[in-house]
Amino acid sequence: MLVAILFWAFSAVLVGAALGVILARNAVHSVLFLVLCFFNAAVLWLLIEAEFLAIVLVLVYVGAVMVLFLFVVMMLDVDIEALREGFARNAPLGALIALIVVVELAYVLWVRRLGVELPGETAPLAQGASNTAEIGAVLYTQYAYPFQLAAMVLLIAIVAAISLTMRRRPGLKAQDVSRQVSVDPAERVRLVSMPPEREP
Amino acid sequence: MIGLAHYLLLAGVLFAIAVAGIFINRRNVILLLMCIELMLLAVNFNFVAFSRFLGILDGQVFVFFILTVAAAEAAIGLAILVVLFRQRRSINVEDLDAMKG
Amino acid sequence: MDVMPMILTMADVMPAAAEIFVAAAACVLLLVDALGGGRARGLAFVLAIAALAGAAWVSSTVGTDGRTVILWGHFVADPMGTVLKLFSYGAAALTLLYSREYLERRDLLKGEYLVLALCAVLGIQVIVSAGSFLSLYLGIEIMSLSLYAMVAFDRDDGVAAESAMKYFVLGAIASGALLYGISILYGVTGTFLIDGVAFAVAQGRAPDIGLLLGIAFIVVGVAFKFGAVPFHMWLPDVYHGAPTPVTLFVGSAPKIASFALAMRVLAEGLGGALDAWQDMLVVLAALSMAVGNLVAIAQTNIKRMLAYSTISHVGFILLGILAGNAAGYRAALFYTLTYVIMTTAAFGVVLWYSRKGFEADALDDYKGLNRRHPWFAFVMLLVMFGLAGVPPTVGFWAKLQVIAAVLDVRLTWLAAFAVLMSVIGAYYYLRVVKLMYFDEPVTAGQDESRFAVRLVLSLNGLAILALGLFPGYLLRLCEQVLR
Repeated sequence: MLVAILFWAFSAVLVGAALGVILARNAVHSVLFLVLCFFNAAVLWLLIEAEFLAIVLVLVYVGAVMVLFLFVVMMLDVDIEALREGFARNAPLGALIALIVVVELAYVLWVRRLGVELPGETAPLAQGASNTAEIGAVLYTQYAYPFQLAAMVLLIAIVAAISLTMRRRPGLKAQDVSRQVSVDPAERVRLVSMPPEREP
Repeated sequence: MIGLAHYLLLAGVLFAIAVAGIFINRRNVILLLMCIELMLLAVNFNFVAFSRFLGILDGQVFVFFILTVAAAEAAIGLAILVVLFRQRRSINVEDLDAMKG
Repeated sequence: MDVMPMILTMADVMPAAAEIFVAAAACVLLLVDALGGGRARGLAFVLAIAALAGAAWVSSTVGTDGRTVILWGHFVADPMGTVLKLFSYGAAALTLLYSREYLERRDLLKGEYLVLALCAVLGIQVIVSAGSFLSLYLGIEIMSLSLYAMVAFDRDDGVAAESAMKYFVLGAIASGALLYGISILYGVTGTFLIDGVAFAVAQGRAPDIGLLLGIAFIVVGVAFKFGAVPFHMWLPDVYHGAPTPVTLFVGSAPKIASFALAMRVLAEGLGGALDAWQDMLVVLAALSMAVGNLVAIAQTNIKRMLAYSTISHVGFILLGILAGNAAGYRAALFYTLTYVIMTTAAFGVVLWYSRKGFEADALDDYKGLNRRHPWFAFVMLLVMFGLAGVPPTVGFWAKLQVIAAVLDVRLTWLAAFAVLMSVIGAYYYLRVVKLMYFDEPVTAGQDESRFAVRLVLSLNGLAILALGLFPGYLLRLCEQVLR
């Protein structure tokens, strides 16, 4: 009963936050609504005992990816009003499409139940089983190949993001610390012996 | 009781909201990127729910990989966005009409 | 699944040696570029070509006649995979060779570009050899992410950044749809190994309505990646907006990956549910052939025209796949391979013709090409005849094969429609020939490209004619790998 109340409460907030993402007037608000979505999703995953992913979603996804989004949104000074011009025009179409997708999915998933007997309860876990340990046990064995591929995906992301955005501007007045440290006094200061100006 | 169907329907609603968001915010690239994140969250919901209710672990491992790829995808998407913004001073997709036909 | 030992030995990973080789080569290239700075550009280019040649050697060495499944079902090695991989290396190497001067001119020939190109090839290899939906998805992402970055690689080109953004957004939506389909399929079959799904479908364990929902989303994802109408919006903009070398890259080897994607998912995984996806593909194929051929007529930019031509050819490739039998798959394989040869030559000529400050991408630039460069006008003539399907080029055999495959499954109206559309399509290909041979030249161009490029491009063009005169070898090859 408690689980049901929690499910309904958190999924209501989740759906509301998702609507907030697509309807908010300000892109920063949208990102924050998305963060709220991820937090609610994490709780809902905890309810069905998928602890590892729930924690990863908050730590990695909210902690890294969403912060990256926030950085970019705030760094690019976006003209919000101009972006919202077509909003009223597109909204009815969007609502219609959402309605069609929801009705279709509800028919297949809820009324027809995918054509099978969908279980009403989660599969029982072994006594003392650790979700994290179970995932870890298969990740480096059965899933060794996908794991290596994921490493390549991340490498590509690094190479692509750096080569696209890093630029060396000519004439940039940056310090070269190693040159500064290894500078020889003789290069900077010239000692000249001058005859005194006035006769003592 | 809360069953698999509840979770699947919730994922379906999220997916529909993401699709609607793509149509509504066709002009705003950064919101399009967020709608894509929402779409992937819906997919992840499906995988986690199937995995836990059917008692097979593989679905959760798949989600782990989707999260990894989504992070990489966000990095590249935002990098392209920054390049675009430097060129155009705008991220409005309808300003992006250098190509016609 | 658990019968394999928990410790991997060399023998276990041997069939994946080519993938490991390319991944390692990409890392070495990255290091060479980082340590060598700007001076190592020439070396990096040679290394990239050498890596592709080495991968071809490895693939042909470890390739076997049978089907081997390794790495807990995530990797499949079979003869079709070997052939597709060899063709992708070839297409990628030709692409790099044709692009070199253009990239040098625009100061784009950086180590990162070559690293991304090798990574895209790695993605294609992974898709071709995917044994599970997970490795398929990761392969698609490795390839797509590399391609998005390559399209945006010229940072001073606003149009390229714009097309990269469109490509990225639509590609990511396609991945989302594909993943939703995979998740439903996983739910109703309990596995995401392709063989496991095929087994569940064959056993009739998967319920019809659940399967249909999953298939619908998967077909949308596959159609997006292929660029089939109505999911083709990105294709003309990307072809038009990307720097020509990247257009060539996107247009050649990834088409092999799209074919492999369709084969692994639809033919192997969901072959037992042919009824569910055949009708969807019929609609996609018919629309692609119609829209591609009709809209191409109105184009004045050759890159955009070739983009719509690609859409129409995608329709023809889908014809072979939707037949759903060995003959159809063979025809689609033959079509894909020959299409890659032709499209590589087409963009090769565009790249050869472009100069500093002259993109050679307007159709009018080709007026009177025959007067100035009769030999490459002839190569372009072969390409256009090939794409139009005029005998005796290989394009004719490719079209004949897929239309025969469709007739075989009694879709007579679709075959008639395909013939009609290829006749309409011939118009805009022959218009290019007319421009080259019967119009007065308007733009001057010097042939200043390297000898090696001219030689390879000529051979590439002549291959269209040679394979048309002697199609037996390639046809037999397709027959051997898809029995």
